[in-house]
Amino acid sequence: MNGHLAAGDWDDRYHHIDQILNNPGPRTDPSFMAGDEVKDFLRNKCKVLVIGAGGLGCEILANLALSGFKDIHVIDMDTIDISNLNRQFLFRPKDVGKPKALVAAEFIMNRVPGVKVTPYYGKIQDKDDAYYMQFTLVVCGLDSVEARRWINATLVNLVDPDLPESLKPLIDGGTEGFKGQARVILPTVSSCYECSLEMLNKPTAFPICTIANTPRLPEHCIEWASVLEWPRVHTDKKLDTDDPEHIGWLFSVASARAKEFNIEGVTWSLTQGVVKNIIPAIASTNAIIAASCCNEAFKIATSSAAFLNNYFMLIGTEGVYSYTFEHEKRKDCPVCGGESLDLKINKEWTVDRLIELLVEKQDIQIKKPSLSTPTKQIYFQAPPQLEEATRPNLEKKVSELVDEGGEVTVTASSLPFNLSLRISYI
Amino acid sequence: MSVTESQDIEQATSAMHSAPDNKTRRYDRQLRLWAASGQAALESSRILVLSASATSTSILKNLVLPGIGHFTLLDDEQVKPSDAGNNFFLDGFSSIGKNRAQEALPLLKELNDSVDGEAVTKSVKELLSTDEGKKWIKGFSLVIAHNLKKGELEQLSNLLWEDLNDPPLIVVRSAGFLADFYIQFHEQCIIEPHSDTAPSLRITKPFPALQKWADETDFSKLDPTEHAHVPFVIILIKAADHWRKEHNGDLPKTYDEKKQFKAYVRSLQTKIDEENFEEAEAQAVRIWGAAETPVPSEVKALFSLPSLTSPNQTDSNEAFHALLQTLKKFVEDPEGPGRLPLTSTLPDMKTDTESYVKLQKLYREWSGVESARFKTLLQQTYPTLEIDPAMVDSFIKNVHHIRLLRGRKYGTWETNVDSVKETLSYMGKEVGTHLVLNALEELLSKDEEVTSEKVIEHVKSFLGPDVELPEEVEAAAGEVARAPTADLPNTAAFLGGMIAQESIKIITKQYVPVNGYCVVDLIDSWTGNIGAP
Ligand SMILES: [Zn+2]
Repeated sequence: MNGHLAAGDWDDRYHHIDQILNNPGPRTDPSFMAGDEVKDFLRNKCKVLVIGAGGLGCEILANLALSGFKDIHVIDMDTIDISNLNRQFLFRPKDVGKPKALVAAEFIMNRVPGVKVTPYYGKIQDKDDAYYMQFTLVVCGLDSVEARRWINATLVNLVDPDLPESLKPLIDGGTEGFKGQARVILPTVSSCYECSLEMLNKPTAFPICTIANTPRLPEHCIEWASVLEWPRVHTDKKLDTDDPEHIGWLFSVASARAKEFNIEGVTWSLTQGVVKNIIPAIASTNAIIAASCCNEAFKIATSSAAFLNNYFMLIGTEGVYSYTFEHEKRKDCPVCGGESLDLKINKEWTVDRLIELLVEKQDIQIKKPSLSTPTKQIYFQAPPQLEEATRPNLEKKVSELVDEGGEVTVTASSLPFNLSLRISYI
Repeated sequence: MSVTESQDIEQATSAMHSAPDNKTRRYDRQLRLWAASGQAALESSRILVLSASATSTSILKNLVLPGIGHFTLLDDEQVKPSDAGNNFFLDGFSSIGKNRAQEALPLLKELNDSVDGEAVTKSVKELLSTDEGKKWIKGFSLVIAHNLKKGELEQLSNLLWEDLNDPPLIVVRSAGFLADFYIQFHEQCIIEPHSDTAPSLRITKPFPALQKWADETDFSKLDPTEHAHVPFVIILIKAADHWRKEHNGDLPKTYDEKKQFKAYVRSLQTKIDEENFEEAEAQAVRIWGAAETPVPSEVKALFSLPSLTSPNQTDSNEAFHALLQTLKKFVEDPEGPGRLPLTSTLPDMKTDTESYVKLQKLYREWSGVESARFKTLLQQTYPTLEIDPAMVDSFIKNVHHIRLLRGRKYGTWETNVDSVKETLSYMGKEVGTHLVLNALEELLSKDEEVTSEKVIEHVKSFLGPDVELPEEVEAAAGEVARAPTADLPNTAAFLGGMIAQESIKIITKQYVPVNGYCVVDLIDSWTGNIGAP
């Protein structure tokens, strides 16, 4: 039992968890401080950051609060939508439209006494290194690849070899339908998010000529409506996929095209699914993955048992299949590797073609990259004057600008790191 | 998202031709997985959960959110201070001393207004002691029990094994970081399966209209645009015909022949950018691979499956078995195609709109012909059977991927100690953890102190003296001795997700549930399956 009770606590409150914290198990590291010391650290000293208060985030917040973490911060930039309510269990119909971080924090504090949840309604990019430095660890439940890459790179950059507490374990979860994964990233020590970029599913992309000339599927008609027709008709209005009127317009335009080509199956739901790239999501998968993430957070914070090394993958469509493995660090990882990435390209390729490759290549995926060599600027996306000045280079061959074996540095405003390429020609 | 999947969604939601209503919007992200049919099944389900532990309420949370019809939470105990500390669906300190089920009920119900629920403050023991109680238990669509006492669990699993139509029982056990669960069911049909693989396109045995198209296609007479848009199905049918002519009517068999066949397909390409020929070469594997087998082995295995019978009752899967037997007849009928009924959905392929739509129409028409043939056979074979026409259509549509699982009574696996021992030799941690949880259940039911030594002693006495225990058994035994009654929040949440997931699969019959034990270790973070029939 906990010797001195903190505010809001009652005797035997942590009876279940204390069975773990009072004694080591056969697989517990000798550094484990069983008893009051570990409880004091967990309940009074540990400070965790939860990124995302959505499907995974709601679950993560509840699990952390019950596990005994009492100082929790949460960041989320979204507001609550009705389609969240089938799984984001801290929200009710009356909350639709309110910021997720605020509603979730309040709910947790009401339900689990003595837990302080500090919400921030905004972007992770709004916060600086000093902010991230205050946490013991970070648990991530995001649906955006971009945001994950940002926080991953930020936490890797934060590591100061002379300052052990600058290493913030990052626990990341993700789900899609009945599938999901949880992983533990020790920045600079183990494989990072960027190291495993190539494991991501490739989003379905329909060739523009199919959309324009030979549509066969309802999806092709929907893409035609959103990619080609919307910008042609609404020259001054950006497509807002959250606006039902916009979806309605796309739906009717896609339906008309489908009718013209005798294609069946354009529906409102499919239209929305295609243009918003909707990923199916259910409470149960989120519960499994969030629990796995929080279980790792608990084990890391307490040392009460060994933690995941370093990747847990789950597929629940046929029985329960899971695979636990160690994802290897990539030596040429632009975030944690230190070595340049070797890239072989055709001697005839233009800079424009190279940029296309950087956007598409599975292990790179950099949107709007800017390129330079140690001595010259090749192409810059911004500021406008620099873009204009470097634009003529887009048509030039890379081989005219970079020697065989030459280095090209790739940057993008969305990513807090540089990618270094070593170019060779075929 | 694959093409077949997107078409399923499209069909399931084809009623939605205008902006969706609030219910559809609320369930949008799950309807994309199990469609309106799965949702309807969920909404008509009634689930009984025994005990209002943290694990139990976590399971229910994940079933109330997607919208089951009704749940009953049964618990006769009062909320202890420790329950108030580890269960999110109790109102903290203020719940202490009140009934567990009653306290959890409103907090679960508020998750979804369209779900009905009740708290019953009886004990499992009390229920099982009367005929009325037993009958009541059998009235649910699914029963879930968490950490039930050994004796009660045995009684319950016996009770729910009596009749073929008894509800499935999910047995969940957990202690600290370790857990396992088992789904007891007689039979589980997966009637609307989801699969990423396109069913047979009849490339090796085309139906008449398809063969006609292939025969009438003369590559040399096509203009370049037409040539670049011949669907791969037609290219492969022609290539196969050509090959048969030169090889005594056989298709490619050896590695070399397959290579030659592909080279031949490629040789038909006249221009470098003809993607349809590239696609045909890539799809050539269909000809000798599993894709075009007349009857996939999983489906064939179901033909010889004896129907489950028991005196004085009808099997709730009777209709499904009638469909299976009709399918067998359909396949064996010398007048028929000698394979499963043709699919009506076509995967996307590199071709022009006109050809694709035409091809789609041909498949749909011929699939209609075979579907009618199937229905005639069904009527002839089972003239008195009343069967929902929608079920017949759904069966024919999904026939290429249907599955049927036969289950066993809870605990059957352990009655064959030799089989357990053999599995232990190559799945040490999974079997070891399961046996350790068995030993824990035994010790707790006798109110004995749980020590690592006692647990191991139990495991040894079960396996017999000559078995050498793998080291994982000791690791697991030490863990349960450390936390014999700990219902940890994260383990509870993990199981809450897992068990809800399996429940949804059982109810919707669209995905495949676990058969056998699923063992979970949240220290090394793995799950494993053992004891499948
Ligand atoms: Zn890395």
